[in-house]
Amino acid sequence: MTAFMNVLMASIIAIFVQNSIFERALGINVLLYASRKREHLLGFFAAITYTTTISSAIIWIFDGLFAENEYYSIFMPILYVAVVSVLYILTLVLIWRFFPKLFRNIRKYVHLSVFNCSVIGALFLCSVQGADIFTYIGYGFGTGIGFLLAAYLLYIAADRLNSPLVPAAFRGFPIMLVYVGILSLALYAFTGYTTSAV
Amino acid sequence: MENKKISLKDGFFKQNIVFMSGLLIAPVIACATTLGKSLAMCLVFSLVSFLTILLCRVIPRKIAYTLRVIIYSLVASAIYIPSVLLTTTVMGGDVIASAGVYLPILVTNSLILSKSESRFYVESFGDMVPDVLCFIAGFDAACIFTGAVREILAKGTIGGAYLDMPFTIPALETTFGGFLFVGIMAGFARGLYNHHKAKLLRAVADEEDELAEYAEDMGEFLTGKKNSEPDKIRIYKPSKKKKDDAPTNILDMDFSDNRSLVEEFAAIVAGGAELSPDESGGDENWSVEESEDMSGEDEGSQESAENKEDNEE
Repeated sequence: MTAFMNVLMASIIAIFVQNSIFERALGINVLLYASRKREHLLGFFAAITYTTTISSAIIWIFDGLFAENEYYSIFMPILYVAVVSVLYILTLVLIWRFFPKLFRNIRKYVHLSVFNCSVIGALFLCSVQGADIFTYIGYGFGTGIGFLLAAYLLYIAADRLNSPLVPAAFRGFPIMLVYVGILSLALYAFTGYTTSAV
Repeated sequence: MENKKISLKDGFFKQNIVFMSGLLIAPVIACATTLGKSLAMCLVFSLVSFLTILLCRVIPRKIAYTLRVIIYSLVASAIYIPSVLLTTTVMGGDVIASAGVYLPILVTNSLILSKSESRFYVESFGDMVPDVLCFIAGFDAACIFTGAVREILAKGTIGGAYLDMPFTIPALETTFGGFLFVGIMAGFARGLYNHHKAKLLRAVADEEDELAEYAEDMGEFLTGKKNSEPDKIRIYKPSKKKKDDAPTNILDMDFSDNRSLVEEFAAIVAGGAELSPDESGGDENWSVEESEDMSGEDEGSQESAENKEDNEE
């Protein structure tokens, strides 16, 4: 029960309080790409959630082994990329073997959904925030759900953000950033932020 | 040379990866809150991106891209180690620590994983190096600008030095402040680019009007008739090869969209070439018989005709 609660709490924190997009801006360029089409949105969500959840469990082992090493923070990127790479290859081989049609559909963008700031950044945040394997897994899973939340909010607003009512210079990517900024401001309330001027 | 200039401008401004295409904005939004952090990030980014793109060029293209991307990431991660050690020596450990997760995530930046495939590795090595440097310089400029302005506005300091600011905007230090700032700056950058593009288009339109008038005068001069539809005049160059090859030497002078040929033709006329009606053509066809001292220009016009054919291909 405690394990389940740890996973749940870590997930809720990763979705609402420390959302990788709204709070950290991790993977915002991938978000802008993924929110264009519904299929991309679901594909990216599935790939990111799967990779962060499984990888976070694996990196928990390495973090436990090397946490005392003073140079560990410098070697973390190559270790994390290696973990993600092995998982990526194994998953692709399995999909290619058992779901060839799915493999053909996803191969165009699967590398974008796995090798991006959102996934690698989530693993680093797991390392900073996580205490036990359950919080690692919960944080990894919550990152994927948080990405879906952000991508869906952008997807439903995409038509209006690209309408002729928006000035030509701001249409597309700039107005989307402003929109995400306003959403980020709204979610900031969960952290109980107070400005230093107050 | 002209093409190279355009591509260099692309990387720095037209396709700036922060303000114009948004390929790498997460570190700028969340981490570029002070000048010091921006400089540290620029140093790591420049070293990691440039060396990775340079090294990964030798990876065989036979390997599927879905797998090549792994090698790119691993190479970038390996280069990250000396880059961070160097940056720590130059900037100090505190700045690196304050940058948090935003330095390590640079190993999977889009310049390495996407732009290298779609642009850099398509170019020759000689073209690629300055192009990559311009893209990197574009990111560095945007990152340093964002960091400096946010530090001034949010803290009233620059590089840690106190400025006597009448007010500060502390929210600019936050992530949502970063989103709003970068979004607004991206809008301004695009507006500036659109304005510049419209100005260029207006200049080209004016030039085309002048050329149309010039072409009309030219037609009148050649045919002795007013409103002689100069767009339909064809100029036959004297063939140096067999008669069968003659069609390859025909210059179809479309005055409306081929300014270089108009200028070239004007130069030939001014240089004393004899104009005579072509035997095989109708009234509208003319051939240019060049005097002996025009041979150099002939080669030039041959080249331009070949260039034109190449362009059409």
